Amino acid sequence: MALDDDAEAVRPWTAAITFPVLIDPDHLLTELYAISNVPTVVWIDEAGRIARPNSVAFGTDTFKDFTGVAAGPHLDAVRRWVEDGEAPMTAETARAAVGDLSAEEVLARLHFRVAAHARRAGADAVAGRHFARAGELAPDDWTVRRAAMPLQGVDPFGPEFFTIYEQWQANGSPYHGIRAGD
Amino acid sequence: MTTATIISDESRTVEARVDGDRLLISPTDLPAALGWELRPEGLCRGDVCVPVRQPAGLFRGDDLDLAAVAGALGRPAVVDAASGVAAVALDSEARRRAIDGLVAPEFTLADLDGVPRHLSDWSDRKRLLLAFSSW
Repeated sequence: MALDDDAEAVRPWTAAITFPVLIDPDHLLTELYAISNVPTVVWIDEAGRIARPNSVAFGTDTFKDFTGVAAGPHLDAVRRWVEDGEAPMTAETARAAVGDLSAEEVLARLHFRVAAHARRAGADAVAGRHFARAGELAPDDWTVRRAAMPLQGVDPFGPEFFTIYEQWQANGSPYHGIRAGD
Repeated sequence: MTTATIISDESRTVEARVDGDRLLISPTDLPAALGWELRPEGLCRGDVCVPVRQPAGLFRGDDLDLAAVAGALGRPAVVDAASGVAAVALDSEARRRAIDGLVAPEFTLADLDGVPRHLSDWSDRKRLLLAFSSW
């Protein structure tokens, strides 16, 4: 599920992917599932129960040196779940794993939605105001701050990203879910 | 009269009037605008009705104030009347059921070819919901 505005920006990344790829330009799932960064993985069983809630997991070791997270352990756990039915954690642990969104974080998502819509309609000044307000309300939420960068012509891999990253780290690297390395 | 887009679980565009900071919607357009309907029992969506103490407080003249309706539903909203766009929060109970009850909220999103898909499309399987992005 791509937290992106434009399917054509996503498509090149998905050339080798065989499972369904959805797009969420209004970031509905960041509100419904309290997702505050990517990548976030949620394990959902056949009965629609969350077996393992929001966590940071990567499919490859491409960014292992930067993130400190190797792909192997999570993939192995997924296999054991699928093949052997092995539960990754107790329900009690899972229920304690994700903190709810604050009122500000919800409001930030609403401003982001208005901004993204305004931008698609060509109303850049309106979009800029709402992106800025969203960022003020949820400065440590990457789905708000970093997602807004390419929508405002800012390189999300450029120097502004590292400034935001350092602020996020200084604030304790907050994340709604099981953090990398937990 | 102008149009306004209300972004909630879906994006819907309806006729609206702008009154200062307020977006006003005709009661008959409320279902098309937000998916809820004002009935004598209150604000209703399918089988669910939220009682409204003072329905008159939702009105400005003959029209409904979108922000007041959102407030009556207990949902935060951002209304940019001048820009003709508003965003109304999703069901916070669904999010709480996810976090505290481990019940995966149903959703509908388009795939890359624009075809709407639902989480329940694959309800007979284990699923990994992976949120990623180009950024």
